[in-house]
Amino acid sequence: MKDKLLLNILHEVQDKEGYLSEKSLKKISVEYNIPMSKLYSVATFYTMLRTKKQGKYVIELCGSPSCVLNKSREIEKFLERELKIEIGETSKDDLFSVYKTSCIGCCDEAPAMLVNGEPYTKLTVKRVKEILEELRKNANS
Amino acid sequence: MQILRETKLEGLRLARKVGRQKVLEILLKKKLGGRGGANFPVAKKWETALGVKADERYVICNADEGEPGTFKDKFILKNNFETMIEGLLIAAYVLRAKRCFIYLRGEYDYLREELEEKIKEVLEKSKMKVSIEIVRGAGAYICGEETAIIQSIMGNRGSSMYKPPHPTISGLWGKPTVLNNVETLTCVPQALVYEDWNPDYRLFSISGDVNHPGVYEWELGVKMSTILDVVKPREKIKAMSFGCFGGIMPVKKSSSVSQETICKGNCQHGAFSIIFIGERHNIVDICLSIAKFYTYESCGKCTPCREGTIRLVNLLKKIKSKKVNEGDIKLLKEFAEHIQETSLCGLGQSCGNHILTSLKYFKKDYMRYIK
Repeated sequence: MKDKLLLNILHEVQDKEGYLSEKSLKKISVEYNIPMSKLYSVATFYTMLRTKKQGKYVIELCGSPSCVLNKSREIEKFLERELKIEIGETSKDDLFSVYKTSCIGCCDEAPAMLVNGEPYTKLTVKRVKEILEELRKNANS
Repeated sequence: MQILRETKLEGLRLARKVGRQKVLEILLKKKLGGRGGANFPVAKKWETALGVKADERYVICNADEGEPGTFKDKFILKNNFETMIEGLLIAAYVLRAKRCFIYLRGEYDYLREELEEKIKEVLEKSKMKVSIEIVRGAGAYICGEETAIIQSIMGNRGSSMYKPPHPTISGLWGKPTVLNNVETLTCVPQALVYEDWNPDYRLFSISGDVNHPGVYEWELGVKMSTILDVVKPREKIKAMSFGCFGGIMPVKKSSSVSQETICKGNCQHGAFSIIFIGERHNIVDICLSIAKFYTYESCGKCTPCREGTIRLVNLLKKIKSKKVNEGDIKLLKEFAEHIQETSLCGLGQSCGNHILTSLKYFKKDYMRYIK
């Protein structure tokens, strides 16, 4: 498949639907003549592609040494406590899925996280609390 | 900063005027090496791909800087992307390539729309009949490795492949393929246009326990005291880590930062990402967070790396539980050495560096946990 790149196709579907459902993958499989086994093999290799339903906001907290040195563990504990979940889970209200990720390249503004791909930097527990409140408000409006 | 100098398509104009061979000569004479860490001469790489008989060749810009502590390519993407595109176009011209790719790491996806617009603008101005496509990475560190990046673009899992063949001979879809990273490609037009272009300037990504982290440009051989004066440590600095893969060594103010001094300390400078570690931290903690990174990012293809990285984490956790003796520390060292010797690609081959160097320089931190 030289003309259309599979990674870009998968991303486009995930952008629209939030994750790569079996139904969407079947559609891609038929359209581009790629076996489902191959699609799952690729989709599950990359951490930013997800084959399970996600919360409205996917939070990826950076766990690299620069962020750890700048107290990212406090943020991690706060997120788990506040959302009553563990890393890798989705909150009961289906609003937040939280993951720990490798370096997101914001080491000069550590600690940092991505929310649906957008960077939030120089985090403190207070700031994360505000961010969560704002996201909740946006979700309800 | 030298890296921020704009060339406004003057480099491309010059390249077309003097011809392919002359461009290679200039780049060789100007000593432009790859900035991913290996410093392999750019002209030699291009020449090899150009020397292979093929109906198609590809150029890939590696914008997948995933090494923890590295953010200098993001700095270029944000501040001098046009010059980088020009470098890509010069590569395409020299290699007679019609299709170029920019493999943008998923973590930088928020920059993509702006980059796409700039690509369109520069392409229009250049009047070159070349396509530049952004490939959206998806959070796999291993895809910074050249064979893995190629697998990823072809729609496969991003696993490393055995070499040879090298991508310059047989890469994307079996065709000769040149891979250069963002910083290297940005240097290409700058080296062609500016007489006073200096090959020894490097971008440093500085982070950790300092008051002024950020991207800086210094000449190789810069004194550590100069760096510390600028970045202002917020506490006494105990160690520096070169990303995750380069190892951990003590900081000496009087030493200079160059390939020789770092390698002599058994570390690897890579892309000059320095994470300064303050005195209050135990190095074993830092090593554990680095070891976890490797278990997370191992592609799983070869056994030593897939299984070994997990064993390293377990051993470090065991050490931290204080239920160990000196034999376990010896085992940790042996494990790290074996994984490095037997792994397939650079990830596994460097995944023990932080352990081996920290055992060399900071054994005291480990001994705290020994019965």
